[in-house]
Amino acid sequence: MPAGLAAELEIDSALTLNQVAVGCDVTIRVLNGPGCQQLRDLGFCEQLQVRKLAGGRNLICSVCGTRMAISRELADQVVVAPSR
Amino acid sequence: MNVQSEAVSVVALVGNPNAGKTTVFNALTGSNQRVGNFAGVTVDMKSGEFFTPHGRKMRVVDLPGCYSLQSTAPDQRIAVEALRGELPGMGKPDVVVCVVDASNLERHLRLALQVIELGLPVIVALNMVDVAEKAGLRLDVAKLSEELGVPVVAMQASARKGIVELKQALRVPLPAVPEVSWDRDGGEEAHGAFIRGLCELAARRPGAHQQTLSDRIDAWVLHRVWGWVVFALMMFAVFWAIFSFAAIPMGWIESLQGLVAGWIESVVAEGDLRSLLVDGVLGGVGGVVVFLPQIVLLFFFIGLMESSGYMARAAFLMDGLMAKAGLSGKAFLPLFSAYACAIPGVMATRTIDSAKERLVTIFVAPWMSCSARLPVYFLIVPLLMGEAEGSWKQALVLFAIYVVGTLTAFVAARLLRNKLGAESGGSNFILELPPYRMPQWSYIFRHVIERGGAFVAKAGTLILGLSILLWALGTYPKSEGDDADALAHSAMGRMGAFIEPMVEPLGFDGRVGTAILTSFAAREVFNSSMAVMFRVDEAECSEEEARATLRDRLAEAKWPDGRPLFTPLAMISLLIFYIYALQCLPTSVVVAKESGSWKWAVWQFVFMSAFAYLASLTVYQFGRLIGF
Repeated sequence: MPAGLAAELEIDSALTLNQVAVGCDVTIRVLNGPGCQQLRDLGFCEQLQVRKLAGGRNLICSVCGTRMAISRELADQVVVAPSR
Repeated sequence: MNVQSEAVSVVALVGNPNAGKTTVFNALTGSNQRVGNFAGVTVDMKSGEFFTPHGRKMRVVDLPGCYSLQSTAPDQRIAVEALRGELPGMGKPDVVVCVVDASNLERHLRLALQVIELGLPVIVALNMVDVAEKAGLRLDVAKLSEELGVPVVAMQASARKGIVELKQALRVPLPAVPEVSWDRDGGEEAHGAFIRGLCELAARRPGAHQQTLSDRIDAWVLHRVWGWVVFALMMFAVFWAIFSFAAIPMGWIESLQGLVAGWIESVVAEGDLRSLLVDGVLGGVGGVVVFLPQIVLLFFFIGLMESSGYMARAAFLMDGLMAKAGLSGKAFLPLFSAYACAIPGVMATRTIDSAKERLVTIFVAPWMSCSARLPVYFLIVPLLMGEAEGSWKQALVLFAIYVVGTLTAFVAARLLRNKLGAESGGSNFILELPPYRMPQWSYIFRHVIERGGAFVAKAGTLILGLSILLWALGTYPKSEGDDADALAHSAMGRMGAFIEPMVEPLGFDGRVGTAILTSFAAREVFNSSMAVMFRVDEAECSEEEARATLRDRLAEAKWPDGRPLFTPLAMISLLIFYIYALQCLPTSVVVAKESGSWKWAVWQFVFMSAFAYLASLTVYQFGRLIGF
């Protein structure tokens, strides 16, 4: 199933972190929006691997072994692509 | 400046929140700073001194954690200004120790690179190497040092490992200003690329994402249903412990108070001095110190939750609920603390990034019923229910009182938040969920002692002064006749007669009005004032007995025309007044300091006092209208 999902992601790579399914490993492509400096300061930066751990009002994701909770508004500014 | 202080080098500790700066600071100086497992524990700068292995004295400054030197949050700005030497009274530091979490280098090195670019001598303290190794990271300290161009010291500060090595690295001559080996002008992207390459070389991660113990705990603690069950159980346990456990040491304090009163009465002859010592000093201060066990317990639990890592989860869970009040999950900790005392609550608002949200949180924090209101509630609620202290019905009323305060605070926050205007860019809620750790007991206990000490200091100064003043107001000018005449003739009795027309529409007589007036600087004083006004000799029995005697007197109290004074409606009106009135001078001082404006503090005081008066008035008059 993850392989199929990855293939799907490959087709439409302009996904935001919100749109990714829980449990997926993704790579951050671009940060785009007013909150991106704040995201960068906290370690969300291009080329980093992220795993989405939970969805909802605030997402939980794991960046370099640290769990971070971020709001949906911020997650919308993180454009990701599937990790190879 | 004298020669000696010029010779002391200044070491600045900087790092991301929760990297362990304060632990390193404590290990270096042997000091007892508070340590939590929650971002933003250090909100002020603390400094201490230590000696290098060569006996050279150094001053170390613990800066608040910051994620970036470009940050705008108030606590993080302090760190940036200190590093640039822009803070008044403090020059540029001689050397910077950048504390990074070894298990999180990809994130923490970003700040390290920015600090290195400042052009100061830098030492990188690679903290928590034990956590990193457990996570399977392969660290190459020599390689890190070579690539960054600065000394790197591997540490596990919580176990004091690597402290000697760090002190060695800090010896004179200090390390040279590092040469920057990455593209300085490339901005964020150049930093990111450099860090990725460096981590690839010197901090290799095991390939797959590993399910850690924290992940497994979080699966329950952050669960949509079970998360709330855990949260509710935790909060219930905390409140239950505060209200029931604390009763035991509170009993000890009361018996001690009784013993001291007995001793004073045996050695001091009857007269003004004895009355001052027993009724004024001991009665007033004792009535406040009795809350020490509750405050100590609350800070113990807050310390425990911070240190173990649960506090961040609670903030995460509460974010949805707080959003209904226009606040974020970060406002939860300050508001929760305010149930014990508004002062630490207001101080804890510094972790909130948004200035508007912070102001709103500061504004409503005093409406979370603090522990100082408890004696008033404990006095009135059993009288209202017409029974002795301690039934479940009273607990229910008490709970309702907390709910009324909290709900009003939330509504007010929502309205005020809307008035202040929306935040640019929507909700920017970001919270680090640190791995669960065993609580650091020594730090929790030191933190509790520090807070308890501050409370006792307040009781020993402000409350002592007020108690003496109150005693004097109730005693002078003296007159012949019995106690009742003496009191009516005293300054306090005259004040009561003067304000009676103002409080009568709320259902109170002059005596109650005077007691309220005297409690404006500290609401705990209400009970002792009431005892004086209704002539109960407090010092001869325990606090609880004194309250029972006072309740009997209150139940008998009548208006001049023979109507009972304390009708259920009048008591509810009194409770409402105490839920809303901001009667705490120290809180106003702290609000002025934290919000940076006296105007805000004065406005808060005037608004809350007026609100309390109007709410009380509405309840009483409406109740009368519908026939109570």
